This record gives sequence, structure tokens and C-alpha cells, in this order.
Amino acid sequence: MAEASTAIRSFDQEALPHLDALYRVALRLTADPTLAEDLVQDTMLKAYRSWHQYRPGTNAKGWLLTILRNTFINDYRRRKIEPVAMDLEAAEPHAIFRSAEVDDPEGSFFSKIVDEKVTEAVEALPPDFREVLVLSDIEGMRYAEIAEAIGVPVGTVKSRLFRARRLLQAALYAHAVEMGYIKPREK
Amino acid sequence: MEKINCREAADRLQDYLRQELTPELEAEMKAHIERCRPCFRSAQFERNFLIMLETRAGRECCPDKLRVRILDLIRAEARRG
Repeated sequence: MAEASTAIRSFDQEALPHLDALYRVALRLTADPTLAEDLVQDTMLKAYRSWHQYRPGTNAKGWLLTILRNTFINDYRRRKIEPVAMDLEAAEPHAIFRSAEVDDPEGSFFSKIVDEKVTEAVEALPPDFREVLVLSDIEGMRYAEIAEAIGVPVGTVKSRLFRARRLLQAALYAHAVEMGYIKPREK
Repeated sequence: MEKINCREAADRLQDYLRQELTPELEAEMKAHIERCRPCFRSAQFERNFLIMLETRAGRECCPDKLRVRILDLIRAEARRG
């Protein structure tokens, strides 16, 4: 009993502060709030059950995100309705800066796009790219942490992140042109 | 004398913005960006994009009812031992 209460105390201190981050990552991976809630709940239960494997004071966020990701891949990917994936060819992108630099070199069109469109565009990224972009650019994890969490080399993290940003920028730029936030570049 | 050219600066931009360069490479990159207007502008554009992304997609919080449900489940699990 004393052991259980020590475990729960350290779990409360080290794991619970990351609930918001876990929820956000779950939302982006599943693109579905109900599934995201289930995924976070499953993750936390699994984490609690294997809490003895966690070394106190190490990277709890990375440890939890690894569980979340594995749970997602094993139990959720099949259940999930993939959003309409973006056309990789069409979005095979040059730097969007080149298109925008004449009219809007600071990229202020980005700030006109509503939150929902931004998250939608993130969720439409191919899963491997989306995952890296979310962990890096939204949750602020370092290359090495991401590499460990998803089990790929750092070089792969970097190249996926590069592609993910280009794809996302291209999608947001296309949306901004469509909405008239920015003039399309003269061909 | 410039240590890096625009091509190298473009290759390093992503690592620079994520603060993943070694101090030496970061100093070279900074020095280049300070002198080169096109690279400065491109870096600023990318930085604004990242700020936008973080503020738009990084604010959602775990719903309270989910938090409570998880706490209850874990307490029950702990009692079971």
C-alpha cells in the first residue's frame, strides 16, 4: 500500500503535467476529439501500469508520448477515418516564401487564417510527416527526443520535418489565395 | 570574410530556427543573416510561420472531464494494487 501511494505520488508529479500536450498530440494524430480522449485515457492507464519502468527525473513527456504513439499505431490507426490526404504531387513544394515574398514577405497572411483551418491542414498531412511536425513545432521537442520517441534516426526526423513544413505552408498558402488573403503570384 | 554562402544558409535554416546548431555554426549563420537581406527575409518568414503554428495549434488543453476521468481510473487502479 505504501508502495502504491509512492507510485501514485510520483505519477501525479511527473506524468499528469503533460496531459495537455498528450491531448493535443492525440487530437492531431486522430483528427477526432472522441478518439483523442480515448487515446489519452488508454495512454495514461498504460503509463500508470508500467510506471515502474520509468526512471524518475528523466524525460517523462517523451516517455508518455512514446506510449501514446505506439497505442495509436497499434489500436487506433485502423479505426480512424483518414482525412482526405493532401495531394503530395500538387503540394510538392518550392519554398512558399518565393511565392509570397513580393506581396507579403513577412508571411502575415498566415495570421489571417482561422485556427480551424490551421489544425485541419496539420491533420491532412501524411501521418509520418504530421507526427514529426506536431512533436517538433507544436510541442517543442528536440530532434533527438523525437527520434527516440518514434524510433527513427535524427536525419529522418529532420527530412520529414522539412517536408512537413513545406507541405503545410503550401496548403495554407493555397487556402490564403482562395480566401483572398494574398494575391496569387503572377505566372 | 563570410564563412558561409546563401546556399549553405538555406540548408541550415531549419536547424537554426529549432536551435539545433552547434554554437559555432549558429554564430556563422547569425553573421550571414545579419549581412544578407534575402536570407534575413526568408528566415523571418519561416520564423513567423512557426510562431503562428505554435500559437494556433499549441493552445488546446485537456478537457476537465477527461482529466477527472483519468484521475479516477488511476486511483481505482492504485487501490486494486
